[in-house]
Amino acid sequence: MKWLELLTVAGTTLISAAVVVTLYSLGVRFTAIAADAQQPSPGIKRSVAYVCFGLCGAAVLFGLYLIIPYFTK
Amino acid sequence: MVALVIALALFFDFTNGFHDTANAMATPIATGAIKPRTAVALAAVLNLVGAFLSTEVAKTVSGGIIREGSGGVQITPEIIFAGLMGAVLWNMVTWLKGLPSSSSHALFGGLIGAAVVGAGFSSVNFESLLQKVILPAVFAPVIAGLAAYVCTRLAYALTARHDPETGSKLTQKRGGFRTGQIFTSSLVALAHGTNDAQKTMGIITLVLIAAGSQAPGSGPQLWVITACAMAIAIGTYAGGWRIIRTMGSGLTEVKPAQGFAAETSTASAILASSHLGFALSTTQVASGSVIGSGMGRRGTTVRWNMVGKIALGWLFTLPAAGIVGALTALLVKTGAVGVLIAAVAGSAAVLFMFFYSRKSDVGHQNAVEVEEAGQAVRFAKKKAMARARAKAKEQAKAETDAAANTPKENQR
Repeated sequence: MKWLELLTVAGTTLISAAVVVTLYSLGVRFTAIAADAQQPSPGIKRSVAYVCFGLCGAAVLFGLYLIIPYFTK
Repeated sequence: MVALVIALALFFDFTNGFHDTANAMATPIATGAIKPRTAVALAAVLNLVGAFLSTEVAKTVSGGIIREGSGGVQITPEIIFAGLMGAVLWNMVTWLKGLPSSSSHALFGGLIGAAVVGAGFSSVNFESLLQKVILPAVFAPVIAGLAAYVCTRLAYALTARHDPETGSKLTQKRGGFRTGQIFTSSLVALAHGTNDAQKTMGIITLVLIAAGSQAPGSGPQLWVITACAMAIAIGTYAGGWRIIRTMGSGLTEVKPAQGFAAETSTASAILASSHLGFALSTTQVASGSVIGSGMGRRGTTVRWNMVGKIALGWLFTLPAAGIVGALTALLVKTGAVGVLIAAVAGSAAVLFMFFYSRKSDVGHQNAVEVEEAGQAVRFAKKKAMARARAKAKEQAKAETDAAANTPKENQR
C-alpha cells in the first residue's frame, strides 16, 4: 500500500492550495484597503496588492510548468 | 471491428468531456464569474490545448487492474469494445441523473466485466483494484475537501474587515475573487485535458497495435491525437448542464471566495496526485472540494442527501459498468451478429436516454438558477442589492409557480 505517497499528495495539496489562497486573499484585502477613503498611503497598499497577485500568478504558472510534460522532460 | 471500437472510443471521449465540464466550470458559473456559454467554451478550448500538450499514453489501458498478457487475459479489440460500452452507458445514466461520477472508473468497471467474462475472476488483480480505484475513491474527496475547508476558512479570515474603533463590519469587497475564479477554473480545465484525453488516445493506439496497423511500442499517431482532442473539446462544449447544476447549486450555495478556494484545492490536488504517482479522479476531487468549501463558510449548509446520492453513484459505478461490459462481452463472443446486436442495442440505449432527457430540458439558460441574479448584484451597493434580491425572489417565485402549473417540467 502506498500510504507514504498518499500522505505526500495530501500534504502537497493542502500546502499549495493554502499558499495560493493566502496570497490571493491578501491581494484582495490590500486592494480593498487601498480603495478605502482616508488612507494615508493608498499607493503602497495597492502595490503590495499587486505583488501578492503577482506571486499568486507565479505559483499557478509553476503548477502549469509541472503538468506540461514538454518542460519537465 | 477496429473502426467500431475507434468510433465508440471517441464517443466515450465525448461523454467524458461533457461529464467533466462541471468539475472546472460549475463553481464559476454558480457565482456568476463567467457566463455559462463562455465558461463551457473556455473549458473546451483549454481541454483541446491540454490534450495536445501531453501525450503520455498509458501503456496498459487498465493500469494493471486486469492481468494482461500471459497468465491473464489477452486484451483484444472485443474486450475493449465491451468495456467501452459499459463505460459509455454508465456515463449516460449518471448524466441523466445529474450525478458527477468518474469516467475512468466507469471504464475500469466495463473492462473488468469484459475480462471476467473472457477469462474468469482470476484475470482481475484485486490488490491493484483496491489500490488504484477503491482507496483513491475514498481519499480523493477527503483530501480535497479538507484542503478546500482550510482554504475557505483562510480566504474568509484574511478578507474579513472590521472597523478598528467600532468593531462593526465594513464592506467586505470580496469581488476580486470572481476574477481569480476565472484563472483557477481554467487551470482545472487544462489539467483535465492533459489527463483525460490521454486515456482514449491510449485505447485507440492499443487497438491499432492489436490490429497490426501500427508498430508495437510506438506513440499515438497525429490523427488519433487530433480526433481525441476534438472529441473531448466538443463534449466539453456540449456541457453536461445537469451535472453543472448539481455541482454548482445542488451540493451547497457557492460564493466567489468559496468557489476560488474550492477550485484552487481541486487544481492542486489533481496536480499533486498526477505528479506524485497516487492517481486521484478529477470528478471525485472536485466534488470533495465543493463539499469542503461549503462546510468552511459560515451560514451555508451542505445538502447531505445530495452528497449521499453522489456517493451511492460512485459505489455503483464499478459494478454497473462491469455488468454492461460483461453482457456486451457475452454478445460479442457469439460472433459478428452479436457485435451488431451489441452496437445497435448500445446506440438505441444512448438515443433513448438522450430523448428521455429532452422531457426536462436543462441547458445553459437554467442550469444554475441564481446566475442572473448573481450578475445583477455585481459590485452593487447594499440598497441595490436588497432590491435585486427581492426581484430575484419574485422571479424565483414566479418560476416555481410556472413550474407547478406545468408538472412535466417540475421533475428535476
